[in-house]
Amino acid sequence: MKTTDALILKKSDALMFFASVASKMRLIAPKRFFGGDVMFDVIESPKDIVWEYGHDIYPPKRFLLPHYEDMFRYKTGKSVEVEGGIEAPMQAIVGIRSCDVTAIRFQERFFSNPIVDPYYKARLDNTVLFSLVCGKPPRKECFCMCCDAGPYLDAGFDVQLTDLGDRFLVEIGNDKGREACAPGAYMLGKAQPKDFAERKQIELQADSLFETQAYIAKAINYISNNDVPEEVWEEIAETCFRCGACTNLCPVCTCYTVDEIKLADGSYVRSRSWDSCQFAGFTREASGYNPRPTPGSRILRRFYHKASYPYIVRDGRHGCVGCGRCVFTCLADLGVPTVIKRLRRAMPKYFEPQEKAAEV
Amino acid sequence: MDQILTTCGLCSCGCAMYVRQEGGRISGVSPSAHHPVSTARLCIKGWNALPALLGEERLRTPLIRKGKHLEPTSWKEAIAYTASSLRQCHPKEIGIIGSGKLTNEECYSLAKFARSIIKTPNVDSGSRFADASATGALLATIGTSASQVDLNTIAHAGSMLIVGANVMEQLPHIGSRILDAIENGCQIVVLDPRDSKLAPLASTYIHPEPGTDLLWMRALLRAILDLKLCTDSSTELLGFEELRNSLESIGPGQLAVDTEVVKEAAETIAHNPPLVVMFGLGVMQQANSSEIVKALANIATLLGGSIVPLRGQANAQGASEMGMAHDFLPGYGMLSDPTSRKFWGIVWDCELADEVGMSAVDMIQSGDLKAMMIFGENVALSAPNSKATSAALEKLDFLAVADLYMTETAKLADIVFPACSFLEKDGTFTNIERRAQCVRRVLEPIGESRSDLDIMADIAAELGTNMQRDPKKVLNEIATGVTLYRGISYEKAGESWGYQVPLNGVIPKLIPVSAVDVPEQDDAYPLKLVSSRAIFPQHTGSVACRSSVLAREYPETYAELGEADAEKLGLRAGALIKISSKSGTLTRRLLLSDSVRRGCIHVPHYFGGDSPNALASYECDPESGVPIYKGLSVKVEAVK
Amino acid sequence: MVLTAAKPRKMWGVTDQPSGNLYVPMIAVIEDIIDETPDTKTFRLAFEDKNYAKSFSFEPGQFVEVTVFGAGEAPIGFASSPLEKSFFELTVVARGKVTQAMHKLKKGGQVGIRGPLGNCWPLEEIKGNDILVVSGGCGLAPLRPAILQILANREEYGEFWLLYGARTPADLDFKYDLEKWKQREDMHLLQTVDIGCDEWDCDVGVVTVLLDKIKVNAKKTVALTCGPPIMIKFVTISLLRTGFSEDRIVTSLERYMKCGVGKCGHCCVNHVYLCTEGPVFTYQQMRSLPELKL
Repeated sequence: MKTTDALILKKSDALMFFASVASKMRLIAPKRFFGGDVMFDVIESPKDIVWEYGHDIYPPKRFLLPHYEDMFRYKTGKSVEVEGGIEAPMQAIVGIRSCDVTAIRFQERFFSNPIVDPYYKARLDNTVLFSLVCGKPPRKECFCMCCDAGPYLDAGFDVQLTDLGDRFLVEIGNDKGREACAPGAYMLGKAQPKDFAERKQIELQADSLFETQAYIAKAINYISNNDVPEEVWEEIAETCFRCGACTNLCPVCTCYTVDEIKLADGSYVRSRSWDSCQFAGFTREASGYNPRPTPGSRILRRFYHKASYPYIVRDGRHGCVGCGRCVFTCLADLGVPTVIKRLRRAMPKYFEPQEKAAEV
Repeated sequence: MDQILTTCGLCSCGCAMYVRQEGGRISGVSPSAHHPVSTARLCIKGWNALPALLGEERLRTPLIRKGKHLEPTSWKEAIAYTASSLRQCHPKEIGIIGSGKLTNEECYSLAKFARSIIKTPNVDSGSRFADASATGALLATIGTSASQVDLNTIAHAGSMLIVGANVMEQLPHIGSRILDAIENGCQIVVLDPRDSKLAPLASTYIHPEPGTDLLWMRALLRAILDLKLCTDSSTELLGFEELRNSLESIGPGQLAVDTEVVKEAAETIAHNPPLVVMFGLGVMQQANSSEIVKALANIATLLGGSIVPLRGQANAQGASEMGMAHDFLPGYGMLSDPTSRKFWGIVWDCELADEVGMSAVDMIQSGDLKAMMIFGENVALSAPNSKATSAALEKLDFLAVADLYMTETAKLADIVFPACSFLEKDGTFTNIERRAQCVRRVLEPIGESRSDLDIMADIAAELGTNMQRDPKKVLNEIATGVTLYRGISYEKAGESWGYQVPLNGVIPKLIPVSAVDVPEQDDAYPLKLVSSRAIFPQHTGSVACRSSVLAREYPETYAELGEADAEKLGLRAGALIKISSKSGTLTRRLLLSDSVRRGCIHVPHYFGGDSPNALASYECDPESGVPIYKGLSVKVEAVK
Repeated sequence: MVLTAAKPRKMWGVTDQPSGNLYVPMIAVIEDIIDETPDTKTFRLAFEDKNYAKSFSFEPGQFVEVTVFGAGEAPIGFASSPLEKSFFELTVVARGKVTQAMHKLKKGGQVGIRGPLGNCWPLEEIKGNDILVVSGGCGLAPLRPAILQILANREEYGEFWLLYGARTPADLDFKYDLEKWKQREDMHLLQTVDIGCDEWDCDVGVVTVLLDKIKVNAKKTVALTCGPPIMIKFVTISLLRTGFSEDRIVTSLERYMKCGVGKCGHCCVNHVYLCTEGPVFTYQQMRSLPELKL
């Protein structure tokens, strides 16, 4: 943590500060809806920012990779005319947590290597993240500590805020963050050593409060070595309702399907929308052949993508940030921690070690 | 651009969801975290099927028949033609069928429209083809036609008795609570001729021969009484002795029941309170469905448990309570009751005769009707004997159909009205937990489509009467007239998670359950049909088939036979087979499966085209008039 | 040196972005349509933009995402010689929604093309070796560019066998090429069908049967194979038994694809996106993918 880049924002100035940020871009933050529901959404005023929330049911990834996204339109006829630009409004996502920031960095890397997805890039280029250090796990399902994705970050953030009671510690992580803070920079004071001491205290306090454990390292081991018998995956996946909620709400997941949609005026739009490897039709070919025909083979796929060495090598880290959303959104309780627990419990029952021959 | 909180209309769980639209298309959907049913979760249809409601084939203008074709026309012409066609009939020659997918306001208005404006007693709901058999039987026993418990209570059950229900696929949120209950040690007894997704979860799985559920339930009741498993208080309930006496006769068909297994099941559910009894279409569409429901209600009452009729369509419960039925007035007022008739006569400004009109089944098969109007129900596929039903509908002098898409029924119509989906109108749905919840308009109606309420009101206006079009005002009228819904308003329903219809605190009665003979096996039709519906299609599938995600999950349909039966018939896996009954024929590709009982063929519902309902005849449960779709006698042969 | 599939020189989205948007296709016009079999047609296409056509090139094994306007996109492998500059060909089996719609198009019709995508057969790396091409049914199409390139540089390769089988004589693709190749002295063409007919004078039986009829030196031969998964499986078993090392068996894998640029996830096998790191792999490379269960 570079002390030179750390500043202080008094809580009494916070509304003004974010209003000044809003002068250059739209604000997205956790917003209160009906009956206690909270979701990241575009807000009209910084007053609407909900700093503490529990189960948010629509991940902020949708502001970079929308649930349904029109890619381009075309008209058929004597000749084909293609039209379409990329909508990438300037936006600041305020109150996002370290898990989601880690996930966005993951997605950023995925969408720009080796081929650049222009839609994601355009949106991310125009997005600045004001993330908040979690003073306590927002929900009991959180396990970012198991995934090295929170509850606070040492790097990878644009602007990281820590709630120190009557003020925020503001750490600027990069130029984008610095530029976003520029309109309100006059409200930011210098941080003092005592601010850092308080911050450290909050970090350690947060670390101590987590309940859900995931044993991800063990899972990576089993899965990378292809040690988990098929029967284990089939037994675990038996109750899957195939709704796709886990992959929809996962801030790391990026798979999508593309549809050609005919509009009322006869023109067409090519639209992409979130898809899920948990659907049987995800890999079914036109001939009817399906390389992943069973629920077990599909849940194996999901966990291979989340926790295996080849993917860690590819993506720079494993594919789970411990946000806990797949835990509370699954109708069958097949979130990452539960599945890994069931894996561990089933291995001794099903795994039959091959007796090694004396000679090869 | 805003997120609109509305209630899902794809099943009776009634999840709350936030829906976003842009340019008339869905741009986002997510569940409510705090809603007591959705609890931050949706099922495959909730997450993925909404765009299918707004597909490119949505009917955008009214259509009028010119010779062999249906051609676009104006609303003015379509309404005028409808009104003039209706005027040419005597009211009793007109029949009106609604659907469990309409809002409460529309169901109530349909009953009013039929009885007071068209002045016909022939009004009924698509529920007649499905869950209407639960209504009379439950009212007679537990005093309410709805579930006595919330979904979250189901999660804390100590034991469950689930009969004839593919609940894990039909009502995923109940399925989720069943999984929760099992985590807490719940014991589950399941009766189903086929292994459904409940198979790995059940402590006892019984495969009754199709059509014999009543025998099993009577045996279970006998076991409960003989083993003295009933609660002390239940022995003092009204009807205890009569029930016991009615169980004494044991017919020859009783040999089909394994009494040891029954005793075990009885002890399981009696020793693990609280008990939740659930039953689905497997019961409600079976022969003697009303008797089976009474038996199930008795079981729940004797063991101090509760009962849940698994009605499937979004507003099947509300449709029933709004009096969209030939044999009830709103709030279950009886037509034979002069006070009820007088009351509704005043509210609706009309004379009501002591006359139970034709049920939906009779409307089709009697041949006595000249005109019909069908709102939102794909009768050509949901009614029995599709061949005869389609012929009957074609023979009508006038048929008007209101629907979202060109369904098999709409294809037969003289006038097709483009109706809008639950995303395009306001109203309320009553879910399976008796929660009347707000349905909110998310986007403007597609093309020129209108709500079913508006369509009725348009026809009424043309016939010279003004009907209330504002759903909120209709709800207020319901609040004043329907006791169950007293105090409801759109605002009230919207203040919290809906307005939960109260249980009246009626003390349950025990009802005698008669013995019924199992019909003789017909040698010409030696197999029994077991039909089911997977999670992908909703009802007849005319909406779900337009979802690329759902269509991708379920690309083709099939039939399943056990290996032994297939071998006996000389059939191999992958063969094209013909399944026929006295009423109809289906062609399917054969798969072999050991989840199907010996002597049975499993034919799941698909996305339209044809339906296993084609194999059913117009034979119905005598008490409720619901046709028998389950356990039909069929024969199977290879397609040459 | 261990043989692996080759990295291509050009790849849409990596080396160039002619339409300015990774997902927006370039327009090509159908110049000719050849009926290969009852369900297969070869479309001869040329880009509308003549400058782009000049700079466009591909290597054997690569594919494109074809847009049939109004229906959608489907991945189809190049089927013509990469040395041909004025057009390129795609051989399409009418199976799914998009390919069925494509079969309804006529000469002069427009399609969208995004490509070249994917990697290629390692034709440079295998120079000096004997070449054994084994193919079945519609699997000959992705191999045809390789065959034509080998024949155009014939002296750089040793013996050349082409083993090709289909269900019936009518189902053989590129009959006009097969006629010419039958006449050539510098290659051995063996054909077979599952079900013969009166005019058929070659073998009857599955294509693996043809392997028994030839003598190859496994140590200096490279096998290129493409066809139905079951055919590839049995061909591979047979070749391994003959003594081929795992890196000398090269195949083109097939998976359902959507974006073609390694983003949508449909074509993923373990950690490999078939559209960017495949579809051409050696058997040795495939063995490192547990999902293939080899």
